[in-house]
Amino acid sequence: MLPEGMYYFSGNDASAEGALAAGCRFYAGYPITPSSELMERMAARLREIGGVFVQMEDEIASISAVIGAAWAGAKAMTATSGPGFSLMQEAIGYAAFTETPCVVVDVQRAGPCTGQATKVGAGDIMQARWGSHGDYQVIALSPWSVQEMYDLTVRAFNLAERFRVPAMLLADEAVAHLRETIKISDAKEIWDRKKRTGASPFGTDEEDGVPPMPAFGEGERLAVTGSTHDDWGFRKTDDPDVHARLVARINEKVLRQEQAIGETESSFLEDADTAVIAYGFTARTSLYAVKQLRKEGLKVGLLRLKTLWPFPESAVGRAGGCVKRILVPEMNRGQVAGEVRKCVRCDVEPLGLTNGEVVPPDAITDALRRMAR
Amino acid sequence: MTRAMEQYLRPGVKATPFCPGCGHGILMGLILRAIDQMKMDMKKMLFVSGIGCAAWIPSPHYDGDTLHTLHGRALAFATGAKLYNPDLTVMVISGDGDLSSIGGNHLIHAARRDIDLKVICANNMIYGMTGGQVASTTPVGKKTATTAEGNPYRPFDLGRLVTAAGATYVSRYSVTQPVSLINSIKKALRHKGFSFIEVMSPCPTQFGRRNRLDKPEDLVADLMERCIPEEDAEGMSEAELAEKIVTGEILPCRE
Amino acid sequence: MPGITQVRWCGFGGQGVVLAGLLLGQAGVLQGRYVAGSNSYGAQARGSGCKSEVVFSDGPIDFPHLTTADILVTMSQAAYDQYCTDVVPGGLIVYDAPHVTPRKGPDARQVGIPATDAALNKLRNKQAANIVLLGALVEMTSLVSPSAVERAIGQHGGGRFLKPNLEAFNTGREMGRQVHG
Repeated sequence: MLPEGMYYFSGNDASAEGALAAGCRFYAGYPITPSSELMERMAARLREIGGVFVQMEDEIASISAVIGAAWAGAKAMTATSGPGFSLMQEAIGYAAFTETPCVVVDVQRAGPCTGQATKVGAGDIMQARWGSHGDYQVIALSPWSVQEMYDLTVRAFNLAERFRVPAMLLADEAVAHLRETIKISDAKEIWDRKKRTGASPFGTDEEDGVPPMPAFGEGERLAVTGSTHDDWGFRKTDDPDVHARLVARINEKVLRQEQAIGETESSFLEDADTAVIAYGFTARTSLYAVKQLRKEGLKVGLLRLKTLWPFPESAVGRAGGCVKRILVPEMNRGQVAGEVRKCVRCDVEPLGLTNGEVVPPDAITDALRRMAR
Repeated sequence: MTRAMEQYLRPGVKATPFCPGCGHGILMGLILRAIDQMKMDMKKMLFVSGIGCAAWIPSPHYDGDTLHTLHGRALAFATGAKLYNPDLTVMVISGDGDLSSIGGNHLIHAARRDIDLKVICANNMIYGMTGGQVASTTPVGKKTATTAEGNPYRPFDLGRLVTAAGATYVSRYSVTQPVSLINSIKKALRHKGFSFIEVMSPCPTQFGRRNRLDKPEDLVADLMERCIPEEDAEGMSEAELAEKIVTGEILPCRE
Repeated sequence: MPGITQVRWCGFGGQGVVLAGLLLGQAGVLQGRYVAGSNSYGAQARGSGCKSEVVFSDGPIDFPHLTTADILVTMSQAAYDQYCTDVVPGGLIVYDAPHVTPRKGPDARQVGIPATDAALNKLRNKQAANIVLLGALVEMTSLVSPSAVERAIGQHGGGRFLKPNLEAFNTGREMGRQVHG
């Protein structure tokens, strides 16, 4: 691991180092702008520290290899951007249904389609949540700085292992390509997956709803399948009760933990009448804008979402109860604004920019001044 | 299946899910015989499969670790597991459509990497589970649910495909040639590299009934007549070979 | 924001714009400053517009992108034309003379450094123009110390490039000293 200290890293570098610090020892990926530097760093560093790196033939193969390695016992990850993230969706559903811990970093770029490959966007928020078919849950975190590309990658691994669920780092090009001073320290909590010999790997009476997970080759004779299965992994493709119970558990084990998983950060909200709710790089711009307007005497504040899925309904609902109106700036056409509306009664105004650029501070200050009138 | 192989079956497994006359049940037993003769440790064996009838040969029936994956992706899942834990003996058992059509890209790349995976492709020349549609392995002229007038396109020669892509042990046998097939599986288990065995397996339900081979025994008889060892094929004319499936080692491995 | 200096470095892909920004930022970090660097480039690896922006601060940086440049370094006419007016009054514009022709108008000190010519004629390596400009910039401003840049070169432009990079850096410093007087 890197010695403690200050480093000048890009977000992609920092995420790779965070993964290694969390215990990641398997990476499979496919090149795609703007995430490729993360893969290149993993290729070099896993070789140094004795992990496994493989560049696969496409993104479907990459996430598939990650899931295979996870069942062989690895903490495993891949990274991609919009088009590759789309290709991975079927397998992400597989990981959710088979309760496979793994981490997917999506460095979002300006879509749809090939769009502007080198430009920034945040259009994959809903895809992260709903991209695969059927009802399932994932965890998705949203870093706003290079430091958080490191810290939240560690957290994504911890949450993936803790809840046996695919966890995503929904980064954006601006944060991934930003270079900043970051502090790396040895003091961090690392979570490893639960194991119990002879326990059923797909069902549990434990309150958290998370069964222990053995690895291949440990003599547990695992049966893993993406078909509906009972507690021991036997296919049960005709039994309505088994299906209902399994779908309910893989959803509830995450949703019940919304408050534990959901991290938010408030600034200047105590006396605010207008709140900005933002995430990722846009939250950074938003805080800058809020500080400018505070100097002008406007009562504005910021609620920053560090977790996007499960959506931090409690924190958003509390913020919505204290202000008259909410502005949601984002680099898409209102994907999170719609979720905010579900949680609050006050006015919610989306500020969606889809021009391949970050939301500029002026756009946020202008909107807030107009809303204050 | 005789009782002798029962020790390799997962407790709780009572019957195969295959149709009467399906060749996959035979293949299921032949693989276990090879494993038995090689005295493999099932605790260190991982069986990976995709989606389709053949994917159910190991999953969940075999009493090792089984990983029943997504349609076409078995080789990519297997690659991840094998690279992370090289102590596992990883066998991929899946169908022709799964491995060579939707999974075709993974097949050529896995062969190119020459990772130690033992691939058994059960080729019934049709999509069985989904109702008998044309496959990338259906011979020209054969009738399927989507080619009522006969398949207009040529099938893959899977052995030559994976050989060209870089596999290091390649063979083709039929379930009607059990002794040769068991020996070939044993070679694959010994070989440290990408092994590919294409196994011709009859599908009376979807292939036979559409192609005037109504009874299971008709299809078996047809396969026995058409599958000829390579030494018998030597000296035969192109016209004589047109309807034949030449079996044997396409790319022998160094032992 | 007090104690903040914003540098915009721009030109074409392939000129070493990103590396120059990286070295500048890394040098700042080595001197204990807060630094945020960002790059912008097109899908073409060579020939499309490219810029690297570095924000230096004495404290944590709220908005990490450049708002208005204090210092603009241009390696192409297109980049000059696009950004020369977006410089703070009294700021500094450094351009690659004579390949970039400055205009009247910007309320900034404009300094031409024949970096590409020096790289070609003196160093016999056109690709070193970025490092020549970096050397000149370091002498003309107190942004970062020469020794910090040298250490940064060791980290990011080392190996077989270390010697030619240091040579280019020193050539640039000499040119910068002459301008600075």
